[in-house]
Amino acid sequence: MPLLEIRNLVVRYGEIEALRGVTIAVEQGQVVTLLGANGAGKSTTLRAISGLAKPTSGDILFDGHSIAGLGPEAIVRLGISHVPEGRRVFPGLTVKENIMLGASNRKVGASQISREADAMFDLFPDIRAFSNALGWTLSGGQLQMVAVARGLMAKPRLLLLDEPSLGLAPVIVQAVFRIISQIRKDTTVLLVEQNARMGLSVADHGFVLETGRIVLGGKPDELWGNEAIAAAYLGGHAKTHA
Amino acid sequence: MDLILQLLFTGIGIGAVYALVALGFVLIFRATNVVNFAQGEFSMVAAYLMVVCVEFGLPYWLSFVIALAGMALLGVIFNLGVYYPLRHRTYLPVIIATIGASILLSNTVLAIYGPQPQVLQGWFDTPGIQLGPVYLDSQYLLIIGVTILLVLFNFWFFEKTLLGKKLQATSQDKEMASLLGISVSTMIMITFIYSAVLGGLAGILVAPVLFVSIQMGSTIALKAFAATIIGGFGDVAGAIVGGLALGVIETFGAAYISVPYKDGFAFLVLIAFLVFRPQGIFGERVAEKA
Repeated sequence: MPLLEIRNLVVRYGEIEALRGVTIAVEQGQVVTLLGANGAGKSTTLRAISGLAKPTSGDILFDGHSIAGLGPEAIVRLGISHVPEGRRVFPGLTVKENIMLGASNRKVGASQISREADAMFDLFPDIRAFSNALGWTLSGGQLQMVAVARGLMAKPRLLLLDEPSLGLAPVIVQAVFRIISQIRKDTTVLLVEQNARMGLSVADHGFVLETGRIVLGGKPDELWGNEAIAAAYLGGHAKTHA
Repeated sequence: MDLILQLLFTGIGIGAVYALVALGFVLIFRATNVVNFAQGEFSMVAAYLMVVCVEFGLPYWLSFVIALAGMALLGVIFNLGVYYPLRHRTYLPVIIATIGASILLSNTVLAIYGPQPQVLQGWFDTPGIQLGPVYLDSQYLLIIGVTILLVLFNFWFFEKTLLGKKLQATSQDKEMASLLGISVSTMIMITFIYSAVLGGLAGILVAPVLFVSIQMGSTIALKAFAATIIGGFGDVAGAIVGGLALGVIETFGAAYISVPYKDGFAFLVLIAFLVFRPQGIFGERVAEKA
């Protein structure tokens, strides 16, 4: 049984049908990457899984149980942690406070959370020095590290990562992806990326979304091997790295 | 010099009341992005609750506890009845709802108690103490003491506790807070309870100095609202500094310029700030929050 199974998911925002019957499965221990252009429905898929967007029809099964229609607070308690697009680090809280709040889905005391947050800096040594800096003072790459660290504090069984490379310098993108390949040892990851090359480099499986539908799925090698698809979506063109 | 010290004491005393109400404004504004126009009525209702309990023959301290418990309950009802049903709407319907609630509260009290202002005794039997040249009115001493304690509590609560951090997180980004498993509706409930109690406390403390009347709420709220703008809208420290500054300014204005225009000075300062420094004293920090 897959850890996460999405069946024929439809999500509408008013008149607009953002997802038009998406079906994907994520096996325990895998990194699965969801590729596609802007507006293809990648973020909406993640938002539906974490409860921010209500499915119009279809089902989302986590560990065999339907979670479609549950609120975000309930879903993160089940062990799905969503690191959304734009990092969304609380600007008026310090780095450590941001990371500590990542454990809000678990029943643990403040001192225990504080120790766990300190331990998190072992995985993210680049932000250790900024522990007491306020969120708004950080750079994009540092914010991404904080956002991922905060997401991991939930001790998720499934981590949803939305465009972690967006707007980052290439060297920072590589640092972020090094962290993803470390995370995968313990956590299943569903990754959304426009940067196909990086996205597939860490993936066990990839899906391509186009205007609300899955048009292709397979192992990274197979996706690269499909010439028409590779040219259209995976490219190597400058725009897919934007 | 003696007069200046005396005026400073009185000004800080009345300013502390504005600061407490302003703090309630700011906390609700940060949590919900809405100015609660019924914040002043919280003070008025609490003062009337005190009057009712004291007239009923209850001891002063017990009346105080009951009045504050009543305010906590009012905070819950206010949240569920005014904010919660409109929480997914824009700010405008919510603001109108708070105005409606403020009219409902004052007219309910009017219907029950009539238009005659009531008198509430002060907490202490001793009216005050003479400290050198300055006469320290016991009620003003109480107001200043309670305000200092509350400001310290507020700092500790928001800066040193995990719950305080969750409240801050909720006020900065509700959707993200919910993704982390923070119960946004609980956080907003806590904010309303806390703000209602703060407003109520201000009303109870100031009641023996002013009369207890239907209008006391709107008078205090207008000054407190001016204080939040002077301090920098949405800023906790700004609300406190703005409130104190306003109290001192209007007390000095009344003493040296004109007593009838006492209320006018507060708004003159407000207009001056709106023209020359609309971001308020601590304005930059508000910008950082955005």
